[in-house]
Amino acid sequence: MRILVVEDEGRIAGRIERMSRSFFGAQLQGITICESVEEGLLFLESNEIEVLLLDLNLNGRDGFELLKSVISGSFHTIIISAYTEKAITAFEYGVLDFVAKPFDERRLSQAFQRISVAENQKENGLRFLAVKRAGNIVLIDVNELIYIKGAGIYSELHLKNGKQELHDKSLEKLEQLLPASFERIHKSYIVPIGQSMKITVGSGSKYHLLLENGEILPIGRTRYAALKEKLFH
Amino acid sequence: MFRFPILIALLLVLCSCKNKVTYEFSEPAYKQGDDPAWAGKGLSLKGWNQERGQTGTQVFWLRTDISLNRSATTEHLGILIHNFGAFEVFWDGHKIGENGKVSGSTAELPGIVTTCFLIPDSLATNGSHLLALRTSQSYEQHTQRRLGLRIQSYSSILQEPLIIMSFMNLMAGAFLIAAVYYFFLFINSNRKEYAILICCITCFLFFALLIVEYIKFYIAIPYTRFYLRLETIGWLTFAISLLVPLYFTIQFSFKRRGFLMGILLLVLLCIYVSHFREYDLTAIYFSYAMWFASFAVVINALVQKEKGAGIVLAGLLLSAIGNFFLYYDFGLFISFTIIVLCMLYLQAIRTREVEMAHQTSLLVSARLKLELLKKHIQPHFIKNTLTSLIDWVEESPKEGALFVQALAAEFDILNQISDATLVAVSKEIELCEVHLKVMQFRKEIRYDWTSSNIELSDMIPPAIIHTALENGITHSAPPEDGIIRFNLSFERGKGYKKYTLTTTAKNRPMRKDSPSGTGFQYIQARLTESYGTRWEFDSRSLTNGWQTEIKIYTPE
Repeated sequence: MRILVVEDEGRIAGRIERMSRSFFGAQLQGITICESVEEGLLFLESNEIEVLLLDLNLNGRDGFELLKSVISGSFHTIIISAYTEKAITAFEYGVLDFVAKPFDERRLSQAFQRISVAENQKENGLRFLAVKRAGNIVLIDVNELIYIKGAGIYSELHLKNGKQELHDKSLEKLEQLLPASFERIHKSYIVPIGQSMKITVGSGSKYHLLLENGEILPIGRTRYAALKEKLFH
Repeated sequence: MFRFPILIALLLVLCSCKNKVTYEFSEPAYKQGDDPAWAGKGLSLKGWNQERGQTGTQVFWLRTDISLNRSATTEHLGILIHNFGAFEVFWDGHKIGENGKVSGSTAELPGIVTTCFLIPDSLATNGSHLLALRTSQSYEQHTQRRLGLRIQSYSSILQEPLIIMSFMNLMAGAFLIAAVYYFFLFINSNRKEYAILICCITCFLFFALLIVEYIKFYIAIPYTRFYLRLETIGWLTFAISLLVPLYFTIQFSFKRRGFLMGILLLVLLCIYVSHFREYDLTAIYFSYAMWFASFAVVINALVQKEKGAGIVLAGLLLSAIGNFFLYYDFGLFISFTIIVLCMLYLQAIRTREVEMAHQTSLLVSARLKLELLKKHIQPHFIKNTLTSLIDWVEESPKEGALFVQALAAEFDILNQISDATLVAVSKEIELCEVHLKVMQFRKEIRYDWTSSNIELSDMIPPAIIHTALENGITHSAPPEDGIIRFNLSFERGKGYKKYTLTTTAKNRPMRKDSPSGTGFQYIQARLTESYGTRWEFDSRSLTNGWQTEIKIYTPE
């Protein structure tokens, strides 16, 4: 686990570092503290991380600029901020968790646990997926998705307008962020429930899902029961 | 607003309609000497003169033929005589009254300038009559005052002045109240505004003018005192004619005030000298001069787009029209009234402006106070502080307690200064020091505070150095030795004082949309609140830090 902390308050940065070390223990491969947006971005250019812990107000600057530019990255972002009223917006942009200041060890641990739990963020309203396109960040409304296909460490977003976008986050990470209306039907596919028409059973008990646009996607054998449950109840 | 003068005019017209008596009288003839037979009708005018001549203290007679024609015969007739001297009045040979005591065995008792007498009904028939005055004019011997006569219903002779007076007194009272009001306003206002004083004096002079003009109706003025009143009216008109344009030049910020007022004064003096002892005419010329001077100022104000110039111009034009159409006494007063009303209107506009400016400044002060308090309860400050605090308490409770104390001290000072618009610089420094203590706990950076040449009791707006300090903290990273240094220095020079806050540190990279703007806005708003435009503010980065300068211009 490699962590980047972007926090301008020395004492708080130290606190986060201490708590991270105690949570991850030997799993922690590295933790870096940056105290400004520029430093953080510079670090990300040449370093791979798994988790970004970000303060939204750095030296009087709005951390959302940074948020927009990092949210398309392959890593998870956890916001640690005094501005609780910004939590909803942060979730819309696809952060894994929002830890309000002042925080204690229990709350930060809770946020860290989310990293390892492959589960939908049922209560959180992700609305946009940020993708990099020709050097720019483009926000894609999750309602525009037909399905998402895993492609190694990336994900392909298949959109209603027929286009495809590549997202830097893995299918596993996206599954953690997407709302409950999305279902992992296969190790390589996530589908919004609203897009599915019916389940067909093929030879050799192979299951398929017919989508509204006519496309047919495979259903994982282990996931069939859960999907059936969700579709018919 | 202008209904009132129109009403007066209408009433006067109605009054004159009631007068159904027509009369003519011949040029008066004078003869020195004393003969009771001269009172009678049908006397040959041989040896009588058109002029009074030099009569000295001697008795002389004055005769004039009157032809009378009246439609209604039920009313009692009266005759109003305007004449200098003491005299006995004979109507067709019958003595109908006397005014003063004609000189004879005793010295003359001067008569009243304007008197009225009842004409006996039996003698007030249609046809020709004779009016003879047995007169002496022991005083003002050289004044050749023309005889003035008016014959009309006796009751209307008595009532007319009362009607005129009622309106004029009403008007005079209104201006007196205005004068008193503006006087109180002037003496009670902190800023001694001379426009208000001029307004007050003009209102008072106008009140005096109205009173002096119509005093003739209720005070019996002997002819020896006749010119005193006219002289007074002349000087009152003179003063008003000077003050009204002066007022407009102040209210409309006329640039060449001295020049215009100088010319006006010169013109007024010329009028006075060249028309010496032509009282009414002089007054009218004074009013013309005033009108033209005011007109020039108002036109200039229109060009400058001054508030209220349009209304005043309309008032001036209206007064010119009124003056043109009305009998000169009334015309003069009505046009004066309109112009003075314009002044009052302007004054009201200015008062409203001042009031609005005051309201705005109160709002600004309230907003600034709020901003100062908000700075310390906004989430960024309070929650970051609390998070650090929890950490200190968890990790080293002893230090945590010190942190709590520092925070409490900062809130204490804040509470003390938040209501004030100016605080002693010693308090401000205390706030800065305690803030650095808090920030030291939060940022775990060493801050060093020094000050030099400070006058501890000097007053400055609250939290402006504190705000500059916050800016320094935000934009600085610790230099090699790990200590960020702040120095506040003070300098007092001729007509100014200057505070300089120097931050010695490594500068963080700055961007154009830097939010330090809001902090600087606070400082600038505070400086404006207390010093108007008499300040300068400058904040810039140095190679090894940051420098903020606040320069306040002080009255010499």
